[in-house]
Amino acid sequence: MAIRVIVRLTPAKPKAGEEFKLQAVAQHPNEPGTRKDAEGKLIPAKYINLVEVYFEGEKVAEAHPGPSTSANPLYSFKFKAEKAGTFSVKLKDTDGDTGEGTVKLELA
Amino acid sequence: MNRRAFLKTTGAALGTLAVAGLPALGQGGKLEGEDLANLEKALRDTLGKGFKDLTPSELVKLNMPAIAESGANVPMEVEVNLPPAQVKALHLFADKNPTPRLATVLSMKALPYYASRVRLAETTAVRAVVETQDGKLLLASASTRVTVGGCG
Repeated sequence: MAIRVIVRLTPAKPKAGEEFKLQAVAQHPNEPGTRKDAEGKLIPAKYINLVEVYFEGEKVAEAHPGPSTSANPLYSFKFKAEKAGTFSVKLKDTDGDTGEGTVKLELA
Repeated sequence: MNRRAFLKTTGAALGTLAVAGLPALGQGGKLEGEDLANLEKALRDTLGKGFKDLTPSELVKLNMPAIAESGANVPMEVEVNLPPAQVKALHLFADKNPTPRLATVLSMKALPYYASRVRLAETTAVRAVVETQDGKLLLASASTRVTVGGCG
């Protein structure tokens, strides 16, 4: 099942040379494998363990989150605005499910 | 009591409360919720180094809330005051979590910054370890008091 990802930039239209945040929010339970269901059985672990950020096809940042990430997680990175282009954030979880979200960087 | 005097006294009382309420360094410079044995294992697994090899540094800034109502969703933020080219990786740990390693970040072209929301099992010390290109390990610590755990 594809993971839904929403990516946004703050500020939405940075000036050239300005720092901006890229925030990605995913729809994912991020089960750490330590929680129990109503019957006391352990819920198997299923969490996002790879976050990759690409800018115009080039990898610019990478994170390897562990099981202790909240459900519907947020990942935020900071960049310096140089030129306009497209960011894409790719996620992968422990079951091999993937998701991708994109956002366009436009300079003010 | 007139209004001015009332504000003065309550303001002062609140001020002292705020200072006393900070979960700052406890006795002997220890952070609340410290568990070095658990942390040491995770450090060895991730970095191959122990807690003694880490240098506390002002260059690393770790922002955690002092109190989190729910451990299932705790915002965290790390910022490193170093040129991006000098930072190799950023590692985050929570002492008391069953899996202490929260995340590892490689910011190749990005600025050395990372923010996320994490699960904390209980009141714990949180560490940010920055691996620099010249092999140094810089440490920043914070402590978050958790009311309801997020891992069980």
